[in-house]
Order: sequence, then C-alpha cells, then structure tokens
Amino acid sequence: MKTTTLEEDIISTLKGMLGESILESKSPRLRRVYISVKRKAHRRAVSALLKVFPSTILSTITGIDLGETIEINYHFWCGKAEVTIRTNVPKSKPEIETITDIIPGASLYEREVHDLLGVRFINHPNLAKLLLPESWPENSYPLRKDWNPKQMGEIHDSSEKPLTIGGTRTETNGGTLVNVVVGPQHPALHEPERFLFKLDGEIVVDVEPRLGYAHRGIEKAAEHLMFFQDVHLVERVCGICNVAHTTCFCQAVEALGGIEIPPRAKYLRTIVHELNRIHSHLLLLGIAGLEIGFESLFQYLWRDRETVLDLTEKLTGNRVMAEYSTIGGVRRDLTPTLGDEIKRKLRKIKERLDFYREVFQSDPTIELRTKGIGVLSKENALKLCVVGPVARGSGVKSDVRKHDPYAAYEEAPFEEILYKDGDSWSRLMVRLDEVGESIDIITWAIDNIPSGPYRIRVPRRMPEGESLSRVEAPRGELIHYVRGNGTVYPERVKIRSPTLANIISFREMIRGCYIADIPAVLVRLDPCFSCTDRMVFIDEKSGRRWVWTMNELKARRRDP
Amino acid sequence: MSPISLSKWARLKSPWILHFNSGACNACDIEVVALLTPRYDVERFGILLKGTPRHADVLLATGPVTRQTALRLKRIYELMPEPKFVIAVGTCASSGAPFKKCYNVLGGIDKVIPVDVYVPGCPPKPEAIIYGVTKLLEKIRRAAE
Repeated sequence: MKTTTLEEDIISTLKGMLGESILESKSPRLRRVYISVKRKAHRRAVSALLKVFPSTILSTITGIDLGETIEINYHFWCGKAEVTIRTNVPKSKPEIETITDIIPGASLYEREVHDLLGVRFINHPNLAKLLLPESWPENSYPLRKDWNPKQMGEIHDSSEKPLTIGGTRTETNGGTLVNVVVGPQHPALHEPERFLFKLDGEIVVDVEPRLGYAHRGIEKAAEHLMFFQDVHLVERVCGICNVAHTTCFCQAVEALGGIEIPPRAKYLRTIVHELNRIHSHLLLLGIAGLEIGFESLFQYLWRDRETVLDLTEKLTGNRVMAEYSTIGGVRRDLTPTLGDEIKRKLRKIKERLDFYREVFQSDPTIELRTKGIGVLSKENALKLCVVGPVARGSGVKSDVRKHDPYAAYEEAPFEEILYKDGDSWSRLMVRLDEVGESIDIITWAIDNIPSGPYRIRVPRRMPEGESLSRVEAPRGELIHYVRGNGTVYPERVKIRSPTLANIISFREMIRGCYIADIPAVLVRLDPCFSCTDRMVFIDEKSGRRWVWTMNELKARRRDP
Repeated sequence: MSPISLSKWARLKSPWILHFNSGACNACDIEVVALLTPRYDVERFGILLKGTPRHADVLLATGPVTRQTALRLKRIYELMPEPKFVIAVGTCASSGAPFKKCYNVLGGIDKVIPVDVYVPGCPPKPEAIIYGVTKLLEKIRRAAE
C-alpha cells in the first residue's frame, strides 16, 4: 500500500481544500492522478494545487469533443505526480474562464484549444490564432468530431498582413520603436516560424512568435489511423527527436492496454533514446557555434555526430527515422558485436567531449557571446512552465528520466545536470554535460542488458480508457495523452512537444538584448527555431521595408 | 558536344542552392545541412547553400506544403532569377506521404510550383540528395546543348 500513499495524499489534500467541488477522483497507476471538478471550479482547483505544491508547472491542456460537451483537461506536473484537473463546457456555449492570471505559461495552450476546438477562454489577454492560418474560416474547428473538411475556404497567405505589437509608440526622447519581422523563410535549418520583434534602436523591447507554419494536423490524422499505424505517424512529428515520440506513444498505448513489455525491450529503448539525445545535442551545439560565427566548431561537432548516426543506422536500419519502438517492444535486437562497437565508438566521442568542454569554457568568443546573455531566472522559468535543458540551465529540476522514470531509467546510474545562471552559456553546458551522461547510460545498458524476448504480440484493439505518458525528449518533457474507445482507432491523441512549452520564455530572455543576439539566443532555446536567416525590417513611421540576410546581420553584431 | 555559353558552364560548375521548409518534420532539413559537413562536403562540387532566393539557382524544397506556407513557397520561387530549378527532397515533398489527407496540407511541392527532380526517401540519405542534384545538372546540360 505504501506505493499509492502519495497519490492518495494528493487526492485527500485537494478534497479537503475544495470539498464538494470535486466530482470524481482516481489514480490508475503510479504518479498519475485524475480529478474531475464542477464547472467553474477549475480556477479554485488550480490555485489549491499551486498552494500545496508551489513548484507546479502546467504540462498542457487537452480538449476532447464528447458530443454534447467539450471536456477540458489541465495536466500539471507537481514535482511528484502528474495531476490532471478535468472539467467540461457545453458545446452550445463553449466558454470557460482563463487560468493565465494564475499560471502565465497557460497562454499558448489555451490559444491552441481555442484554435482547434473553439473553446473561448474568458479574460485571456490575446486569444489570437496560434496554429491555423489567419484565413481559416470562422466557426470551423478541426478537432471537433462533427467537423467537415469541406468547410475550408481558399488558401490565403496570412503572413502578408501588416504586423504590430500594440500601437505605434513614440518614446519621450523622440525615438520610435521599430517592428522587425523574422521568418518564416530561412535557408539554413528547421521549421518555418515567424517572429515580430519590437526594437528601440538596437535593443529588443518585445517579441511575439507566430507559430503554425508547420502545422499539419497530425492529431486529427491519428484519430483516423489504427494504433499500430499511428506509431509510424507520430515518428514523423519531428525528425530530430523521433525516437522520443514513438517511445512516448508506445508507452501510452501500452499503459492503456495494460501491456507489460519484456525487460530487454526496455533496455533497448533506453539505448536508442540516448543515441538520439546525443545526436540531437551535438547538432544543437554545432548550430550554436555557427550562429556566433564559429564555423569550425560546427564542422567538428557535426563530424562526430555522423558516428552516432552510423550507430543508429546499424541498430535500427535508418540514420534518422529509427522507427525502433513499437507497441509491445522494439523491432530489432542488439547483437553482442554491435554492442561492443557502440561502446568503442562512444568512448571516442567521450574523449572528444573533453576537448569541446575546454572550448566552451575557455574560448573568449563563446564567453562574450553567451555569458550573461538571454537570462531566464529560476522564478520566471517556473512561472512560464519551461522544460528540458532550458529549465535545467536555470536551475529547475525537470528531468523526466529522474523524477518520473520510464524504460530502464529507474535502475540507470546518471546525474541530473543543473546550472543555475540561466544564461545562454548555462543552457549550452547542460547539453554538453548531458552528452557525457548519455554515453554512460548507453554503456551501462549494454553491459547490463537482460536476455529474453525483445517483443511480444499485442492485440490491435485497445480497451476504453485513458493514459498519459511522459518522456524526456532531447528538448525537454514530451507528453502524449491517448484515449481509447474500445476499438482499433484511438478516440483522441494529444501531443505536447517541448518546443511549445519553451517558446513562450523566449520573450523573457530576449528583452534588453541586442539585434545581433537574436539568432544566438533563439538557437540556444531550441534548435527547432533557428529561423532568422532573412529579416524584413519595417520602419513604423514611413512603412519603409528593407531586407537583411543572416550574413549582413552577423556583420552588424555587437562589438565586444 | 556543342559549345555552351559561359553562364551555362558556370551554372553547371557551381549551382547555388536555397533551402525551404514547407512544413517538413526537420529530418530532411537536417540531412540537407549534413551535406555541408565534412563527411559529404558538397562544396567540393561547387554547391553552396545561400541565404536569399535572389542568389539561388536551385530551390531544395522539403515538406508536404502546409496551407500557411503555400503562398510563401510560391513567392520565394518567383523571387529567384531565371533560369531556376526545383528539387523536391523527401517523400512528403514528392507526394505528401503520410500527411496527404491532413486538413492543413496540400500534398507535395508540385501542387504549388513546377518540380524538376524528385528525391524520395524518409528522409533521403545525403548521398541520395547529391545524386538528385547531379541528375538535375545532367538535365541542365542536356537542355543547354
């Protein structure tokens, strides 16, 4: 009984604080708590949770169309368990009060639910479109079950509308603020995103991201494919942390169906997951070097990254899209020869790591461009609910592998890397040190892997129910929430990628920085957003536009 | 072999490339960047990745084309100087692949702009992308002769 005490404690504490507002509560497995509250009681419930656990962060908000009503689930990580607070609104009048004044980090999640399900959050500061194009027809919400794709109109490019943050403002000393639009086209890397920067001279005053250029509608597509087909779909959510997505989804479905996978599969998942983390972190560190003009560092790091991709290919069959995890285990076994080869080659990377650490610690260019730049304090990191290396760079304990262990991480010996400065340099060093930890985990896993089968047969049909799975993707906490309805198709699949959690903190980091720091700070936040290669500068007064390329921008960087 | 003009010869010797992501998952994009790194090093063929459409001869486009990027993709294509060529990198860019029926996806680069070479794969290996570029160069050479 001792294992369930924590969950029961949470439920009884909240029951004591909220009384009759709680309709239902349950704890289906370790570290998962679900609480249904009455309509309009959700704000009190959130405040109560925050009072009991001050370091609670909001993981995401899931909306589900139940026919007559729309159910809204607030998923919180309170440091010890994932608490879901659930309420619903009638579909005829889908309105609910916002929680952004209690948790500012809820802003983007509420906009997402508004976009896709049409729930209006009363008193939300800016309930604009987040994912869908601005030309999307009114009253058309793709995640509602009765939505008809024929309601869509013609394509219009939303990005051509003039952009402003607030109104034009003239400073007291006569200077004006200037709007700068960054993206979405960017030749170097990654997803198309657009940012609007408000500048006073060379200093950034405010920024507003516009996401959704890569919004494809995977959550809707997942409802129309069978569970085992969805494994291949979620693999393609992101091409860098694909292993995290499949592992997370498979874990969610296995929890839903009550499937226990063989221990060997757990270890194999751990190995591939960590290989994926090494390749992703090396990639990011390289790009970070490139953005501050340190191109040789980029070339060195990417050369070492190729070794990891080779190992991934030998183990899984593909360099990038591993498609390794599957419901009930993994697809391929590890041979002892390959295990030795992985250990040998990773040992070489570990030696190289000492060299990179020396570069990052002693190179004057890196020091000038990263130390004390883009600072995110611990308080703000908690308030904005950031995850992953960004949170750990600000000293917030957030490693899912440590605090909510899955696969073989419960037994694996490793340290959670924490830096407390919260600047760009800390965020880079967290990633560099984590590569070393990952190599140790892989070596340990290969040495201690249990024998036995690596996959079991599972039924295609999954029972009615719900499950929430968390993994530590290279960029932070990744969440998949799966609800089954007793058929081979899922009722709802909700994916919260770490980038969405972190992008909100960019505003906090970049305020007060120089134009030339924009690409560098952006990259250190998350490699999925290094999209600053072409900028259109708009002078607010005259409406004059001009374009700078990345190289021109680099040339204008601040002199040390 | 008939003589070809200086500009055509130069284009064959050093095609400058612009990369655009129209809603891809990053896998193809990372492989495009991997082309520049020491193992594949496409600069030895004179291939350079450029920052602006105005400098580019070849558009390397990835992704299944989301509604929000569609007109942007068209605009970038129109910004490129003539003659211009397009390579669709990846299965998504060629046909829309698993996202073909998604509500926010048009399903392939050729739904918006003309494509010269398709490189299938999820994602295609860097070797395959290099092969795609050489196929395009062959095409240009044949047209020039």
